[in-house]
Amino acid sequence: MPDVLRRYVRMVDAVNRVVGLFAMYLIFAMMGVLLYSSVMKAVAIPPLWTLEMAQFLMVGYYMLGGGWSLQNDAHVRMDLVYAQWSPRRRAAIDSVTILFLIFYLGMLLYGGISSTGYALRYGEQSYSAWAPYMAPIKIIMCIGIVFMILQAVAQLIRDVAAARGRELS
Amino acid sequence: MSYEMIAITMFSGMMVLLLTGQRVFGAIGFVAVIFALLLWGTGGSELGFSAAMKLMKWYPLLTLPLFIYMGYMLSESGIADDLYKMFHVWFGPVRGGLAIGTIGLMVVISAMNGLSVAGMAIGATIALPELLRRGYDKVMVTGVIQAGSSLGILVPPSVVLVLYGMIARQPVGQLWLAGVFPGLLMATLFIVYIAVRCWLQPNLGPVLPAEERNVSLREKLRLLQAGILPFFIFFMMTGLFLMGYTSLVESSAVGAVAATFAALVKGRLTRQVLHDTVRKSLAVSCMFMWIIVAALCFGAVFDGLGAVKAIEHFFVDQLGLTPWEVLILMQLSYLIMGMFLDDTAMLVIVAPLYVPLVKLLGFDLIWYGVLYTITCQIAYMTPPFGYNLFLMRAMAPPEITLGDIYRSIIPFVAVMVFGLIVVMVFPQIALWLPQHVYLR
Repeated sequence: MPDVLRRYVRMVDAVNRVVGLFAMYLIFAMMGVLLYSSVMKAVAIPPLWTLEMAQFLMVGYYMLGGGWSLQNDAHVRMDLVYAQWSPRRRAAIDSVTILFLIFYLGMLLYGGISSTGYALRYGEQSYSAWAPYMAPIKIIMCIGIVFMILQAVAQLIRDVAAARGRELS
Repeated sequence: MSYEMIAITMFSGMMVLLLTGQRVFGAIGFVAVIFALLLWGTGGSELGFSAAMKLMKWYPLLTLPLFIYMGYMLSESGIADDLYKMFHVWFGPVRGGLAIGTIGLMVVISAMNGLSVAGMAIGATIALPELLRRGYDKVMVTGVIQAGSSLGILVPPSVVLVLYGMIARQPVGQLWLAGVFPGLLMATLFIVYIAVRCWLQPNLGPVLPAEERNVSLREKLRLLQAGILPFFIFFMMTGLFLMGYTSLVESSAVGAVAATFAALVKGRLTRQVLHDTVRKSLAVSCMFMWIIVAALCFGAVFDGLGAVKAIEHFFVDQLGLTPWEVLILMQLSYLIMGMFLDDTAMLVIVAPLYVPLVKLLGFDLIWYGVLYTITCQIAYMTPPFGYNLFLMRAMAPPEITLGDIYRSIIPFVAVMVFGLIVVMVFPQIALWLPQHVYLR
């Protein structure tokens, strides 16, 4: 493996570890917002913004966590046949089929950028009483998808290395 | 190519990609976006992202990460240890009693959490080693834990019913109430099965030795205290929601905080435990969320193809079936698909196709939600693809082989199919409670 690729994998891994750590603890922000809303409902007028804020946090949670989840192989596979292959064979086949996954993420990003562009150009707001601007959350989604693509490419490099019988830490 | 042919091609494309062992969400998402591009060109290019936006608007799904967090927190909190001890002492003297007690434990856990993850984690770490040590049959024990934990999605709260509620546009409160009696019925059927089986074959579930049975009544009553904390959590979460004090998503946050609080009371809340819990929660949440995003995109393409009309046409006009035959056929097809395909993805892709048809045929959508959930439960356990199978494989001790796991579910699936039929024939089992509560 060329040194450049090795360094790329190490760098992407490090970035997604940090982003993943941030995403993990976003769950407490979700809890906090929803708890605040239920307490406020009991004592005073419930605030307008809590539900939508929680929605944004949820999207941030799994979008920013996406790269980390690929890194840690958190996604299920249908392993009827897969489980019976040798690790090397698995890596070889993965290095082809992960291209499909990257294509899907690429289409997501394409749609995301176009939608973000629209949101920025026209100052799109949500149809709700709070009416927040939609651009920030869309930008966060795009960032999450980009991190995922970077990680998927890193996994591809790993798989290719493993298929050729070399381990890439 | 006709639309039906396109739909079939999509399904088989997905099947082939899934068989390669690529991550499920990638396989489903790829098939969805490539067909969107082929069918509608640039107009279809943003379908993937709009599915993600649609998921954001499905705000009840906020309950998913929070329930997952709660499940892991509960299994760490040590609540289950006390509960297990309680059931152990109370049911130990009966043949197969520890297995029956495990089902009881699972019902209590199911009433606190809306997924099968918590039950699996607790069952595999606490009940499984105990039962094996006491000479229980490993195949039966494995089945007990898988079947028992699947009650998590039927007994309220339930994430599967939340998901169904969004697709079918039915109130989640009523759906949850509708799950109560079918859930208890299912638990009773499991218990009957275990009792009869162990009565016929006593070596499968030996009685506790005499010295261990010798527990004073006072001690026994003291152990019942283990039920206080779970009841508190159940009340804080599901109770307050059903009484209308908290909204659905708020109740899940309250539940998550209550579980954390329980761990704190038990003195188990260390930084390491907290970090492990949020780490596992992110992993499982990402897995589910990404499958749902991809499946929503797939469903959108199906929708664009007019698959609902096609299926309706096929079932009602071409085959000329009566409503009941259609219903049975739908459940059967779902059972078979649930074996091979991802269960969550199936829910997101298939439910939107079936729900309009069920409505058209004049069935109650709340009742159908319960049928759907029971079918989902079965799909969670049937090989080769099922979440409980995966979890079991990851958590089971080495002496339990894959063959044991596969064999263990057969009798329980039979019991669950029987339960499904009972609820189909007597809809009142599901509908009595919600009608009673909401019609006052």
